[in-house]
Amino acid sequence: MTTTLPEEKKDSVPFYPDHFRTEFYVVVGIGVLALVIGGLGMFFPVGLQPPADPLDTPLHVKPEWYFLALYQMLKFVPSSILGMEGPMFAVVMMVVAVLAVVLWPFLDRKPDNKNAMRIRIVLSIVAVILAIALTIWGEVS
Amino acid sequence: MTLFKQPLKLTLVLAGVVLLLAVAVAAHGASASAAGLQNASAAQNLVSVELPPPNQDDCLHCHIGGENKNLWTPLARWTVFGTFGLAFVFGVYRSASVWTQRKAWKPLTTRAVEWVDERYELSPVLSKLAAKPVPRFAMKWWYCLGGITAFLFVVQGLTGIMLAFYYKPTAAEAYTSIQYIENEVRFGAAIRMIHHWAANGMIVMCLAHMLRVFIMGAYKKPRELNWVSGVLLLFLTLLFGFTGYLLPWDQRAYWATTVGTDIGGALPAIGNLILIFLRVGWDVSGATLGRFYGLHIIVTPILTLGFMLAHFLMIRKLGIARPL
Repeated sequence: MTTTLPEEKKDSVPFYPDHFRTEFYVVVGIGVLALVIGGLGMFFPVGLQPPADPLDTPLHVKPEWYFLALYQMLKFVPSSILGMEGPMFAVVMMVVAVLAVVLWPFLDRKPDNKNAMRIRIVLSIVAVILAIALTIWGEVS
Repeated sequence: MTLFKQPLKLTLVLAGVVLLLAVAVAAHGASASAAGLQNASAAQNLVSVELPPPNQDDCLHCHIGGENKNLWTPLARWTVFGTFGLAFVFGVYRSASVWTQRKAWKPLTTRAVEWVDERYELSPVLSKLAAKPVPRFAMKWWYCLGGITAFLFVVQGLTGIMLAFYYKPTAAEAYTSIQYIENEVRFGAAIRMIHHWAANGMIVMCLAHMLRVFIMGAYKKPRELNWVSGVLLLFLTLLFGFTGYLLPWDQRAYWATTVGTDIGGALPAIGNLILIFLRVGWDVSGATLGRFYGLHIIVTPILTLGFMLAHFLMIRKLGIARPL
């Protein structure tokens, strides 16, 4: 540890004040952005739809935008897969996917290399494009 | 107490305090007698009136509607004249101290810091925290996505508390209380707007941070639990969004919650249990609103704070992962 110390000193900056200053600027920037958005809210408020009415189902029922991609995927599930009910199968798949994401570091345990990173970049781009496409599709349908 | 060993200094300080008190009492007496006179003349004009006339109603709630005349005046007055008084007392004390002790004056902040440090020995801990090296490779913009998420959480906490002051989590009053926040509460529309957009921003930043960590392979050994706690924080953020979305109690909120909880209800074996737990019954109702409100403002924040603390401590311990 002591042998690496000079090296570490050379290619690093102290947390305070150098890095703290950067973080401070980020916080101020986001804070100002929040205030600007708040100022816009005085003229264009978030607003409300008509009050909740359990007896009046709207034509296009949608979840929040961050669940829209999942919701849109659920629409394409056939009514019966492998003897299970379609939606139930899809939800089980979703739980499996979620568990895989949570436990991902225990599934991908090899030391990292450039090739693996390239695969991860491609995977991420495909996933993001897919999610955005499904969200937009869900939003317009 | 060195003060009591130095009669001159003590006398001067006491003289300053007495002078300040005298001014304060005189000012209070003057305003009180003026108010008394007003009341007396009003009582002569109106004999059998039980409620005070509108122009004399203190109306402590009017600041919400914007009629806040004379509410800030006493505070401003006390701030201005109180500052003068404190500056005067401080000047007397400082002069006396320099004069009697024949020593250079030590600023009050230095004294306060020394006082705390003498007792709790914080400065070694703090200087160790401050000197913690941050690697230069971590000075890129994509390393601050997680920090932005954390800051947005703080923004959500602050604006959420402000909204909670006026929001009423019942089926009968939720909708009107949001209307009240938007139309009557001063800056209420701005606060709601910030809460709304910072919520969306928090989810976006959370996902962006997760993508960054995934692509750079920062989740690999020894940072597995960092990833796990981070994904749990993402789920908590989504739970924040899911529970918060119902609270306005409008059509969109109601039906989004209906379809959202339906998805949970489709799970095998525990589906119905989840449905009943979330909806407090078979349908989304006022009871659901109360359940979601409790989850939104108490359960989820506490869990999030706990996981954030764990997340940050692990980052502190392991440092930032070196990219390939």
